[in-house]
Amino acid sequence: MSEATVKATFDVYRFDPVRDAGPRYDRYVLDLPPHTPVLTALLQVRADLDPSLTLRYSCRSAICGSCAMQINSKSRLACEAPIGPELARDGRIVVEPMRNQPVLRDLVVDQEPFWREYRRIEPHLILDPRHPMPEGTANPMTPAEVDRFKETPRCIACAACYSACPAVEADPAFPGPMALAKLYRFVVDPRDQGQQDRLVKIQTDGLWLCLRCHLCTEACPKDVRPSERIRDLKELAIAAQGATEPGSRHALAFKENIRERGQLNEMKLARQTAGLPGLVTQVPQGIRIWRKKPELLHAPHPIEGADQVEKIYEALDDGKTKEDAP
Amino acid sequence: MQKHEVVVVGAGLAGQRAALAAIQAGRDVALVSKLHPLRSHSGAAQGGINAAVGAEDSVDTHIYDTVKGSDYLGDQDAIEFFCRAAGPTVVEMEHFGTIFNRGADGSLARRPFGGAGFPRTIYAADRTGLALLQALWERLGTEQFTTYEEWDVTNLIVREGAVQGLVAFDRRSGEFAEIGAKAVVLATGPFGRVYGRTTNAHSCTGDGVAAAYSVGASLKDMEFVQFHPTALMESGILITEGARGEGGILKNGVGERFMTKYAPHVLDLASRDVVSRAIVTEVLEGRGFPGDYVHLELMHLGRERIESRLQEICDFARNFAGIDPVTQPIPVYPAQHYMMGGIGTDIHGATNLRGLFAAGEAACVSIHGANRLGGNSLLETLVFGKEAGIAAAAFASTAPAPALQESDLDRSVTPLRAWSSRSDGEDPTALRTEMQRVMDRYVGIYRTEGDLLEGVRRIRELRKRFERVRVVDQSPVYNLNLTDALEVGHMLELAEVIVVGAYARTESRGAHARRDYPTRDDVHWMKHTVATRTPEGPQLSYAPVAYTRWEPKERVY
Repeated sequence: MSEATVKATFDVYRFDPVRDAGPRYDRYVLDLPPHTPVLTALLQVRADLDPSLTLRYSCRSAICGSCAMQINSKSRLACEAPIGPELARDGRIVVEPMRNQPVLRDLVVDQEPFWREYRRIEPHLILDPRHPMPEGTANPMTPAEVDRFKETPRCIACAACYSACPAVEADPAFPGPMALAKLYRFVVDPRDQGQQDRLVKIQTDGLWLCLRCHLCTEACPKDVRPSERIRDLKELAIAAQGATEPGSRHALAFKENIRERGQLNEMKLARQTAGLPGLVTQVPQGIRIWRKKPELLHAPHPIEGADQVEKIYEALDDGKTKEDAP
Repeated sequence: MQKHEVVVVGAGLAGQRAALAAIQAGRDVALVSKLHPLRSHSGAAQGGINAAVGAEDSVDTHIYDTVKGSDYLGDQDAIEFFCRAAGPTVVEMEHFGTIFNRGADGSLARRPFGGAGFPRTIYAADRTGLALLQALWERLGTEQFTTYEEWDVTNLIVREGAVQGLVAFDRRSGEFAEIGAKAVVLATGPFGRVYGRTTNAHSCTGDGVAAAYSVGASLKDMEFVQFHPTALMESGILITEGARGEGGILKNGVGERFMTKYAPHVLDLASRDVVSRAIVTEVLEGRGFPGDYVHLELMHLGRERIESRLQEICDFARNFAGIDPVTQPIPVYPAQHYMMGGIGTDIHGATNLRGLFAAGEAACVSIHGANRLGGNSLLETLVFGKEAGIAAAAFASTAPAPALQESDLDRSVTPLRAWSSRSDGEDPTALRTEMQRVMDRYVGIYRTEGDLLEGVRRIRELRKRFERVRVVDQSPVYNLNLTDALEVGHMLELAEVIVVGAYARTESRGAHARRDYPTRDDVHWMKHTVATRTPEGPQLSYAPVAYTRWEPKERVY
């Protein structure tokens, strides 16, 4: 099973808060087979070249969630990132700590921001004493009910999604992809008695701050697809409570806007999102738009074939009904 | 100095369950772990958890299968207690929020597993450990307790035969601290990393077992090491027994389904020791594939079943071996997987030291005897974790306040400081690699007197060299070099106990297979090995096996 080795160049982020004024990159060059995981290479650096290189790792089989880091600028588990494709694409492998969490040393970050958001969504079954669990036996749950969790039980809390998320970077109020995917897991749990409260709470607690960039879904090593679960939560929240927030109103207004004319009416969108009183606060921005792109403030001209959009909506609604049917 | 009533070391399933039980008993509890609890190795358990909950199954059959699987070395009273607790334990975990696979009628789905007379392994796809770990941690999160996360325990403090607490350091700051305790529960899991070829995580270094041994706790049945039949050829990553439970079959290099020779009745689902020896025998007799391995075939199960029931191992095979199990056979060979031995305890986790308790893979009750059945270890962590937590809480409620002194801290820290102040000495990672080579080569699946003697000699040589271990990294922050040294010291101590026990046991039983003594010897060896530490090495004595209803019989699958 032996195979040819390649020369692999690693540029690894190094920082010791006690001894270093600032971070630096150390270069290590190893001869390794191309399928070698980055973690194996880093452990070889520790064993043969520099025992002071510091990182988190444990299972080496993508199940403990310890070794997420930035590998050539992508949030990955080092244990399942083979060096071959990285070298083929970039010629070298830049290894850096995860983002959105303060660096403690080298590749080890302080995960408290990530765990804090996880705790904040109350990650445990909320029970109601009026509906006790069946004594001495498991709750019945159909395979279809198990399917509603989708891939969320696979989450290993590695924080790769949290590291990749620009909304986390931009806004500390955003809970991050993992916490929201975890929230989804509890919302669809037939044993959980707090579903309505959870959905109402999250509407004002960061749900609508997601930028819909799907970088979390790209980063997730377990195919949990957090951005899709955030979308599911939004639908469930609107269904549970109606569109009470600027975010949910914006989403609905966007949908109706397109449905009506096949394009956006920015004025109408802003009015429906913010409401008339809220619109007043947007006057300065309106003036800026009026100066630079006045056409945005006009109602859009009718476009040919816009009536086809209605048919698309009908087909989508129809599909949705079928999907939701028991 | 911090003080708590009950301090639990290790935050996998056993440690967390012990903590929950002690909290529910009203004690002030601390949980100390070198990993974030959700990163514990319990989460790597794939196949499932055994409980005879089906109408057609019976607890008695589960007991019998476990007794037989243990090759009659398991204590039958403990096994009866264990199997009776299975149903309530699984139900409790379901109530805590575990997402198990379900049958069409909404009940808990069950799959067949090795050595079991009935499909009684309840599962969550092929990530049952992760499912249980998440649910228990999330349940525990609703309670009040203290966590010492990413702390390394260096040693226990014992005064007049009673535990007073421990010394540990915070990886984040590098600061050492005494943590006083009326009772300590050790749940630090296995020490599979004494071997190079192992399914165990890098963190499985037996820290708690070594700490207990070094203060006088006795270790039991350490020579019984389980090798899992199906680990990925190159990396040693586990491919669950559930793969064979779902219908996967083993084939040798000439295309034969060789298990027909070794276990004509149950074939690929024989007990793990039997299947592992079969694979090694095929390879040694020249019927392996070039490179020394066999094939695990799943292709006939079809894409849908493979990708839904064996999702994680599909990913493992694709990502770590470049093999798609839907269309290709998986190259596998046995790897160290589980330690039947550990800190000797009764069914309440009590050790021979007052105030010291142990549970999970770190402990040896003994229910697994000479060979553990798949699906019984997750159950063990929860059943005996809870028992140890209850017993530790009861002990702590009447125990005096821990008596710790400043000098305890100094005495514990001084040797570690010496490691860092040396200008020349042994590299801990090099010592670890050499130890792993010795254990792989001389203390593997098949053993002989000559190999074991050589193993003892080499491990003792490494222990001697360890006295001059050197920590190069001088930073206090996340000094993994120091952790490496601490861990390899622990593992060398335990490796010696394994080899000495294996050398002394001149019979073959369960996972302990001696080429020079190929049969089970019930007259001389139906007894537990008990190892006690002395400056000259482990001193062995023997303890009787508890019998209730099952007479030893020849073990045929």
